[in-house]
Amino acid sequence: MLWKSLSDVAGRGAAIVQCVCFMDVFSNHVLQIQQCIGPSMLPTFNIRGDILVTERLSVKLGKIRVGDVVMARSPSDPRMVVCKRILGLEGDTITVVSDKGGSAKIPKGHVWLQGDNFHKSRDSREYGPVPSALLQGRVFYRIWPPQGWGFVG
Amino acid sequence: MLWKSLSDVAGRGAAIVQCVCFMDVFSNHVLQIQQCIGPSMLPTFNIRGDILVTERLSVKLGKIRVGDVVMARSPSDPRMVVCKRILGLEGDTITVASDKGGSTKVKIPKGHVWLQGDNFHKSRDSREYGPVPSALLQGRVFYRIWPPQGWGFVGRIPSQSV
Repeated sequence: MLWKSLSDVAGRGAAIVQCVCFMDVFSNHVLQIQQCIGPSMLPTFNIRGDILVTERLSVKLGKIRVGDVVMARSPSDPRMVVCKRILGLEGDTITVVSDKGGSAKIPKGHVWLQGDNFHKSRDSREYGPVPSALLQGRVFYRIWPPQGWGFVG
Repeated sequence: MLWKSLSDVAGRGAAIVQCVCFMDVFSNHVLQIQQCIGPSMLPTFNIRGDILVTERLSVKLGKIRVGDVVMARSPSDPRMVVCKRILGLEGDTITVASDKGGSTKVKIPKGHVWLQGDNFHKSRDSREYGPVPSALLQGRVFYRIWPPQGWGFVGRIPSQSV
């Protein structure tokens, strides 16, 4: 009796581990649901945190384009994920409107990230071009708030 | 009969998918076996490619120290993984010898590390592309499993060649 109960529990445990593994693989390689909190992407996304669907394939295949909204690991804090728009790819020249001004050529393997909220966004204007290897995925759909359902352009 | 064969095949297929998923999760979060090819880590690692075991936890927990050998995504090519030693952490100041003689001091910004290959003359590293965001680090190399005469832990100082 005890042996049967233990093997039931082990069976349930194994099923849970398999589920978790599959979800982890799916969210790392295919689709992930993430939240974008903060003012840096106003007016596109709200301050309190829109819930977005991110697809992983474009980044993995190198098919990111200027204008895409992406999730990326922050260059100044490895534990933080930021949500910004790609304003330039490697080889492009960006004219920086800031206190220092000037233009920046984006080196090989890097992109220029900028928040839609010009005045309240810490982005490449502050930390420079960002290595493409920090990009996690392309935001392509919003699922919350309900009135914001739809593709992210 | 056909139904039983199909469900056998589906059962095998599901078992294979479960195995692959588990191995993917394990190598992304726990341990990974990787190869370090090229001259940049001589004499510690050979040119032709030593096979190394990388642990993922130190990087995830932020417990990387100066002297650790790490695998990292290259800042200049997102598809490439490089194998270098950490010579500085955020806040440290690195003195870089320049070709013209003399040297410059570089302060490593927040969230970055300084990567350098053990092979001073033949390594493209932070001396070329600057401090590297820690988020590019994948794992800490802690054991070598090939070549056989090189079996053993990988330490925090450059070692003799095998």
